[in-house]
Amino acid sequence: MSTPQIAVKTKHLGAGSVWRRPTFVQWFIIVALLVVLEAATRTGLIVPTLMVPPSEILTRLASIVPTSEFAEDATRTLTTILFAFAIGVAVGIPLGVFLWRIPAAGRILEPFIVTGYAMPTLLFYPILLAVMGLNAGPIILIAATMSLIPIALTTMIALNSIKPILHKLANSVNASPAQYYLKVLFPAATPLVFPGIRLGFIYAVIGTIAMEFILAAQGIGFRAGLYYRELNVSDMWAYIVVVVVVSVVVNGVLTWLEKRIRRDML
Amino acid sequence: MSDVLGTSTTEQNNNVVFDRIGMTFQTDAGATQAVANVSGTIPDGKFVSVIGPSGCGKSTLLDMVGGILKPTQGSVSIDGELVTGPRRDTAMVFQEDSTLHWRSVLDNVAFGLEIQGVSKVDRNDRARRMIDLVGLRGFEDHRPGQLSGGMKQRVAIARALAVEPRVLLMDEPFGALDQQTRQFIGRELLRIWERTQNRVLFITHDIQEAVYLSDEVWVMSARPSIVKEIVNIDLPRPRPEGTHALPRFRELEEHLWNLVKVEAEKTLGPGALLA
Ligand SMILES: Nc1ncnc2c1ncn2[C@@H]1O[C@H](COP(=O)(O)OP(=O)(O)OP(=O)(O)O)[C@@H](O)[C@H]1O
Ligand SMILES: [Mg+2]
Repeated sequence: MSTPQIAVKTKHLGAGSVWRRPTFVQWFIIVALLVVLEAATRTGLIVPTLMVPPSEILTRLASIVPTSEFAEDATRTLTTILFAFAIGVAVGIPLGVFLWRIPAAGRILEPFIVTGYAMPTLLFYPILLAVMGLNAGPIILIAATMSLIPIALTTMIALNSIKPILHKLANSVNASPAQYYLKVLFPAATPLVFPGIRLGFIYAVIGTIAMEFILAAQGIGFRAGLYYRELNVSDMWAYIVVVVVVSVVVNGVLTWLEKRIRRDML
Repeated sequence: MSDVLGTSTTEQNNNVVFDRIGMTFQTDAGATQAVANVSGTIPDGKFVSVIGPSGCGKSTLLDMVGGILKPTQGSVSIDGELVTGPRRDTAMVFQEDSTLHWRSVLDNVAFGLEIQGVSKVDRNDRARRMIDLVGLRGFEDHRPGQLSGGMKQRVAIARALAVEPRVLLMDEPFGALDQQTRQFIGRELLRIWERTQNRVLFITHDIQEAVYLSDEVWVMSARPSIVKEIVNIDLPRPRPEGTHALPRFRELEEHLWNLVKVEAEKTLGPGALLA
């Protein structure tokens, strides 16, 4: 009885061939958005103190990107993000394992961690600046904290959700602790941990750029903030575009990785 | 403890000996005595089946032999050694699906050998032979998610057989299989067992299967369980296909059925099986 319905639906999908190519539609939306923005900025519908035409942003970008100043800013921001994320993973995963392994500790610490998740940690940035000085240290520390929380929480949840039978199996074949973790626990948990790792990366990016924006000596977020305060709208937008491009690329890489992992693991 | 049985250590050496073993689970809901007091011996090279009503503690008993559950009372020993944890010479097939879903069939079957540190070439070689044996040739590179329930169970059986255990512990391993596959794999299991002469502890709900496969059938009582009767299956081996039709087979089957019925009624209430 349900077969004809499925057939009808398939046919419907076949008819609307454009909708079968989401990337095509997505590109169309981006181009349309750019055209609208270009028109709106040129006609004065959007005032130049808010945004300049996309074509102008692109020309600014073309002259900014080749400079050594940009190279230094980009390097600074990317290394900060990577450092923060690396700490997030290196601390978050063991922390998640610990919370899972010692359920009592998990019950005690979980509310704190969840609060840390909900709290705008970057409010502590000025204090850390006062303590550590105006360098990458305070930014890495806060971005790493923001990054490790979702990683630790999803690790704990993923380990908790492993079917008891897998523990029984690992136990019955007399797996060593290392084999237990590497051959059973981690592979079983990975598909569930990955979304947390992805979120951890996104938090590292957001934390780094937001704090650079507030106060820093260098970095892409710092430039965007600087030009914002100088009312240099076109350069500010050029850096915003850089941030958007970085986010899109990073997200693309993570999506690709996640797909591969899911294919291999499920 | 085990000298209480009055048998010398040499006699016990190649046996699996249950010595008044019991298990009481402590949970938030209170204590559940799953296994009360089980004593018995699986002599060397014997195939023992356990039948009994659902929830009577069969899986619990198996877990204790496998060393993954510590008895709260008594002990079990294998070849004269107390079981204090999982042993490398025992292998378990669980009641529920225990395949590792991220591994291929081949890597699942080779898992036990991999844990034991067998080289990749050797373990894949042995795993492939077991895969053939359980009728999964051609599925080596499939993932469990692409298999049926019965096929997954065969993967688990192959994994247990691959380590060539001295004691094979199987918990309703054929539960997910259809009658034909069940009989086919059962005969294969007997062939392997006759060749290796290991001990098998086999849990089943299927009385016919228990009679066909076993040297002894242990009938467990309702919870808290004891072994109510040990029925010796005095059918000649090897047992060809027509074995099921022998009058002696029918007799044993009926005897076991009557024993099980009494226990099942205790669990489910009188008259539950009349319908
Ligand atoms: N981990 C546990 N914690 C608490 N109680 C348990 C646990 N495992 C089993 N039990 C209880 O012990 C009893 C026996 O369970 P067991 O799984 O051994 O039964 P079984 O004979 O294998 O049943 P079935 O034939 O349905 O598989 C049941 O009453 C069950 O509720
Ligand atoms: Mg059971």
